[in-house]
Amino acid sequence: MNILLAAILKVIGVLMFVGLNAYILIWGERKVSGHIQRRIGPIRVGGPSGIMQSAADILKLMSKEDFVPSGADWWLWVLAPVVSVAPAVLVYLVLPIGRTLVLRNLNVGLVFFSSVSSFTLLGIFMAGWGSNNKYSLLGAMRAGAQLFSYEIPLILSTIGVVMLAGSLTLQRIVAAQTHYGWFIFPQIVGFIVFFVASVAELNRTPFDLAEAESELVAGYFTEYSGMRWAMFAIAEYSNLFTLSALGVTLFLGGWHGPLLPGWVWFVLKSYFLVFVGIWIRWTLPRVRIDQLMDLGWKFLFPVSVLNLLGTGLYLMVR
Amino acid sequence: MALLGRIWNTAKSMFVGHSITLREMFTTPITVFYPEEKPPMERGSRSVPVLKVNEGTGLLNCVSCGLCERSCPPSCIKIEQALDAKGDRQSWPEAFELNLSHCMVCNLCVEACPFDALEMADVVELCSYQVQDLIFDKQQLAEIWKTSRSLRVANGERL
Ligand code: SF4
Ligand code: SF4
Repeated sequence: MNILLAAILKVIGVLMFVGLNAYILIWGERKVSGHIQRRIGPIRVGGPSGIMQSAADILKLMSKEDFVPSGADWWLWVLAPVVSVAPAVLVYLVLPIGRTLVLRNLNVGLVFFSSVSSFTLLGIFMAGWGSNNKYSLLGAMRAGAQLFSYEIPLILSTIGVVMLAGSLTLQRIVAAQTHYGWFIFPQIVGFIVFFVASVAELNRTPFDLAEAESELVAGYFTEYSGMRWAMFAIAEYSNLFTLSALGVTLFLGGWHGPLLPGWVWFVLKSYFLVFVGIWIRWTLPRVRIDQLMDLGWKFLFPVSVLNLLGTGLYLMVR
Repeated sequence: MALLGRIWNTAKSMFVGHSITLREMFTTPITVFYPEEKPPMERGSRSVPVLKVNEGTGLLNCVSCGLCERSCPPSCIKIEQALDAKGDRQSWPEAFELNLSHCMVCNLCVEACPFDALEMADVVELCSYQVQDLIFDKQQLAEIWKTSRSLRVANGERL
């Protein structure tokens, strides 16, 4: 009974965080993009700096018509947003938020993270196929090609860290960074590959070919509106946070930090990486699809393999 | 070597780009809070054609020749010439109607007028939910002219 209650409380906590995170990030992204373009972003709706803008957005989205396009594959179409939100929520299970604060200390935490987060692709494909729309299908195809080719360097870049830490448990990886210092220093190449690949995994500019507004309307979620669209947005911003959090865990020392409690450091560092992601999004233009593939297969992949090789040699000779 | 050069160039251009956006992020925004804070209209901005008034006599400059009516491409000017008791035509308009819902602010009427009786005013806040509110008669047009900054110096009237 107690276990059940605790589980329910944890689920509610994670869901609340996912919602709050999307709320703040959507507002924050609009603010940052505004200031980068010498605008001020939302201010009119209320609260300090227009923080109520997202609340107004939620109300608007909830009051929209629940619209299913004719010819859509109903089950695929309806389930697609759910399938893309589910992995975004599931990965919170293994995030080491503090020294003892982790929902479930799996001994294959990193494998769990990468395998669960690749489910997002399934949601994208379901949305693209189910919508019965050429833009959606094209977007889903592009997302498929992109996610497949960036998943590999992403995982390879994390293996260097695993080799140094000698564990797949995210908690142990963080703990190992007291010994080595933050892994970003010995694994700087790995960090760069990880960061580029995670921006591509998130389908964000400069790798937003799957939802390129100027070419594909909105890519795989062209036909979605209202709360179904909002679920895709929530999944995107939740993934932005969790991948940044993974980056912090693997490379930036996780909950290590002076003075403040561990979880505060963890959240601060994660949001710093999120900010860098937003900053990149509003600076760089979109790459072409062939450049994207070139970067993935001809640069990130060999570089991450070389990085692994170097790490292995170091571990052998030390 | 060429590959290293390309990597270096990429890294450099990304660094430059990001430093520019970071700098922009901390410069003061140039947003104008429009309804609360009105940016000054540029001198010579052309918003609506209005009727000039001779400040000495208080009468309109218009002699009701009808040239503006004919030159207006969307036909939004309607002029009715004044007649006296015997039915002779007089040199002022009985009615002068301008339908701003059609006007495309082309300035052709102003150029056509041989008596310098029309001018573009710098009034822009004229939105309305009813087309009726956008049809101005000669008194209203003269009132707008009186409150707006004129562009041309004509007959020594005013700047
Ligand atoms: S500005 Fe052009 S459209 Fe407007 S009244 Fe004059 S001639 Fe007609
Ligand atoms: S062209 Fe000038 S003078 Fe002639 S009717 Fe029009 S406003 Fe009056």
